[in-house]
Amino acid sequence: MSNFDDKLAQHISGISKEKQPERDLWRGIELGITSQQGDASQDDASSSTVTSKQWMAIAASVCLVTVLWFAAPFAFKADESRSDGYALIDAMSMQQQQQVNSLLASYESTTALTEDWQEQLKELDDAADVIKAALKDDPDNSALIKMLHHVYQQQIALIERVHAPKWQQI
Amino acid sequence: MEHTQQRVVHANVVFGNKSENELISKAKKGDKQAFRSLYDEHIGRVYALCYRLTGEKGMAEDASQEVFIQLWKKLANFDGQSQFSTWLHSVTANITISYMRKQKGWVQRIFNLENSGINEMPAEENSTDVDLEALVIRLPERARMVFVLHAIEGYRHEDIASMLNMAVGSSKAQFFRAKQLLKDFMGVDDE
Repeated sequence: MSNFDDKLAQHISGISKEKQPERDLWRGIELGITSQQGDASQDDASSSTVTSKQWMAIAASVCLVTVLWFAAPFAFKADESRSDGYALIDAMSMQQQQQVNSLLASYESTTALTEDWQEQLKELDDAADVIKAALKDDPDNSALIKMLHHVYQQQIALIERVHAPKWQQI
Repeated sequence: MEHTQQRVVHANVVFGNKSENELISKAKKGDKQAFRSLYDEHIGRVYALCYRLTGEKGMAEDASQEVFIQLWKKLANFDGQSQFSTWLHSVTANITISYMRKQKGWVQRIFNLENSGINEMPAEENSTDVDLEALVIRLPERARMVFVLHAIEGYRHEDIASMLNMAVGSSKAQFFRAKQLLKDFMGVDDE
């Protein structure tokens, strides 16, 4: 072993095994865990088979999220320069609300397959509000932004799923 | 006296493991408070590894969050055959590597930025007072990851090759490269 290897080994043995992060990470983790639990319960509640129309609905939702996903980092870069990190979240929420409203309008004449879908939609709304409240303090937190995307995606999927014609559920 | 001290240390380890096992068992049943205690206990080591692998604070914080979110799902897979900290360490390394792959931007994939910045780094004074961590962070990505996993975390090159999806020889070559660069950073002449 060379002198340098000895010296390096000494430095390595002196390196601290622990290091504390500068910001509190627990809040984002807790929200992530809660969001996972919400997904699991929603999956249990709607365990019907996925039909072609539902696949199309899922694909449409995925496309929307993908567009938002790719647009978000660029929009955030712009936001940083304007020192207004929360503006994108507002824009996302507004866009989501418009999409939800137009979907609900298009399904106005269709009977929903379950009775409690509005409660589920409200629960997802509440989850989005909690995440948005956290984002107000930490608008650049990518884990929180991902969660908000996910919750919005779930809302669209829920509306489309419960309004699919009965014959497609067989 | 020494024997008594050893027994006290052993008792603390046993007691610590017992209470940790209780926390794990509660967390597996969905107890978030127990999971929070596990987080408090292990975040220091998890973040340190994430930071050394990613080389960047923001990314290390995001990766640490990802580790604990995934851990909540994966906890059921922990069978207690190994130490929880050892198992968590391996989960952390794997999740962080996969997180880094996902986060790597298209710019970095198209243009190889692997060597950028190295030449701008001034060599340190040849002294014993070296901040090795700061120097490791300055290494190029692949050399840094191999160095951290092999020299600091004690993984074998065979394991690293599989984790980083590279040949065993490449892992050894990256390790050699990391050592050479560290030697330069420290201002040590070739022997």
